[in-house]
Amino acid sequence: MNPLNWVIVVAYLSYIVYYGLKKSRGTKAIEGYFLANRNIPWWAVGLSVMATQLSAITMIGTTGQGATDGMKFIQFYFGLPLAMVILGVTLVPFMHRAKVFTAYEYLERRFDPKTRSLTAFLFLLSRGMSCGTILAAPAVVFSAIFGLPMGWAVALIGVPTVIYTMIGGVQAVTWVDVKQMVLIIGALIAVVITLLVKIPVSPDAALHIAGAAGRLKVFDFSFSLTNTYTFWSGVIGGTFLMLSYFGTDQSQVQRYLAARSVDEARSSLLISAYWKIPLQALVLMVGVLVFVFYQFERPPMLFNPVHERAVKSAEPARYSALEQRFNSEIASRDTAARQVAASSRANEAASVAAFRSHSARADSVRAEALALAHDVTGQPSRDVNYIMPRFALDFLPFGLSALFIAAVIAAAMNAIAAELSSLSTATVIDFYRRWVKPDGSDAHFLKVSRGATGVWGIFACIVAARSANLGSLIEQVNKYGSFFYGSILGVFLLAMIPRARALGAFVGLFCGMGAVAAVAFGMPTVSFLWHNVIGAVTVVVVGMFLSALAPAEAA
Amino acid sequence: MGTMTNLEPSSTPPDADAGARFRRTLVRVMAVQVVSLCLLWLLQWYYSV
Repeated sequence: MNPLNWVIVVAYLSYIVYYGLKKSRGTKAIEGYFLANRNIPWWAVGLSVMATQLSAITMIGTTGQGATDGMKFIQFYFGLPLAMVILGVTLVPFMHRAKVFTAYEYLERRFDPKTRSLTAFLFLLSRGMSCGTILAAPAVVFSAIFGLPMGWAVALIGVPTVIYTMIGGVQAVTWVDVKQMVLIIGALIAVVITLLVKIPVSPDAALHIAGAAGRLKVFDFSFSLTNTYTFWSGVIGGTFLMLSYFGTDQSQVQRYLAARSVDEARSSLLISAYWKIPLQALVLMVGVLVFVFYQFERPPMLFNPVHERAVKSAEPARYSALEQRFNSEIASRDTAARQVAASSRANEAASVAAFRSHSARADSVRAEALALAHDVTGQPSRDVNYIMPRFALDFLPFGLSALFIAAVIAAAMNAIAAELSSLSTATVIDFYRRWVKPDGSDAHFLKVSRGATGVWGIFACIVAARSANLGSLIEQVNKYGSFFYGSILGVFLLAMIPRARALGAFVGLFCGMGAVAAVAFGMPTVSFLWHNVIGAVTVVVVGMFLSALAPAEAA
Repeated sequence: MGTMTNLEPSSTPPDADAGARFRRTLVRVMAVQVVSLCLLWLLQWYYSV
């Protein structure tokens, strides 16, 4: 990347740290540090909620997915608006009025300390590791693209985030999120405009090509428990997933607990309800347009430059032969794409068939190259996450590529800051203050909270920097982390049923996790979007059954 | 342990308009979603071959 682009990125990061520290005023007590004195306006909370979910994985992974699989991933979010509305009338008023710091604190008031501690522990376990993953994902890509050592790539994203989160708490995190959302959306819109200018056919013809390649297929109405992205898994499974995430995950709950009132907390969630699907459509459309752009411009055969170099060096003859075939298919595909763009709808069948045939042959050569990269490097060679950064560096004009890279870093920072802040809150409020030092002063808890944020930040950086060695461990923890979500939602649903008792909630939680583990291990096989439904329903059914048996005083 | 009702402090003044305001917002949110899904459906229907 041009050194001046680096200057822009570093200047932006410095500004964000300065801005975060400037906004950290009012964090002299833990109410200010963890909940910004419950005084953040609804629109800032709402943008912060959206920023928290929009991680670097969205910016580079989802755009890549748009390029390779098209728009169908958007079905994943179909349950979100409904989930937000349900939360607005159920959990949000209960938790906001309970004046709690954490979602789990509320469970002690409703049930008992062990239910609170168990759910908080499950949160720390799953989110602690996922924080490292959120940091590792863009760091791996930056390391490969820019040739940075992994430690430097982690530090570039992690250090500024840890600094402003540790010093400024939720107040700094929320206001930085607002700033960064403006940058991210601005960068996405600028990339779409640039793509439309650079693609040598009209936007209508570009969409025609994308449609011919199946990239604009949004809806799949088949009802299958094993197919991840369908309309029904999105609406039903997605609703439960979003209820679990926004209703019980401290990184989200902490956002709306910082709102001024119940009504403002509800309104903040409704920002996501309004804008999440259009925003995801924009992100996926960027990927679709990158796909169309590469119909007229030779794409790299391997998008990961490290793998490209490794294969060229280890297997030069095989790489060269593959490259020759790839170039030939790409040239034919280019011609076919132009014919699709020029053809009218009445006589497009022949040109579309030719285009699909050349596309399939080009894809097949690329699949061979990916298999070769896997053989040579011994690493997974799927390079979806590299498509967008390579495009940004190779084809975006000066300044805009820096803007895009800054937006990816901003997205990573938002997600990590929310995680660090929520991990620190759960550690201090649900464990340290609850079990170790209940009578500490506010100043003491503030000091411990900052320390906890710093420790979680260092932990996340170490996990991310060592992600290559810890890869399978992280994968396992993330996999098991998904066991907890639906079951924890089930406990919160029980909390809203007056007849539910503590014993039912505690035992139900284990039964829910057991049920999810069973289907995750194929007894029977069910796609992951349904896991939350199974977990939540099991907890509620078992919890209510045991509550009916338990004597009232046991609650 | 307390029950759900114990968690709602009686000191919180009930906002008479809040329910109606939220119902209006709910209708708006769902209307925006229906429009979004219709637009996505049109995109798929018009351009998919």
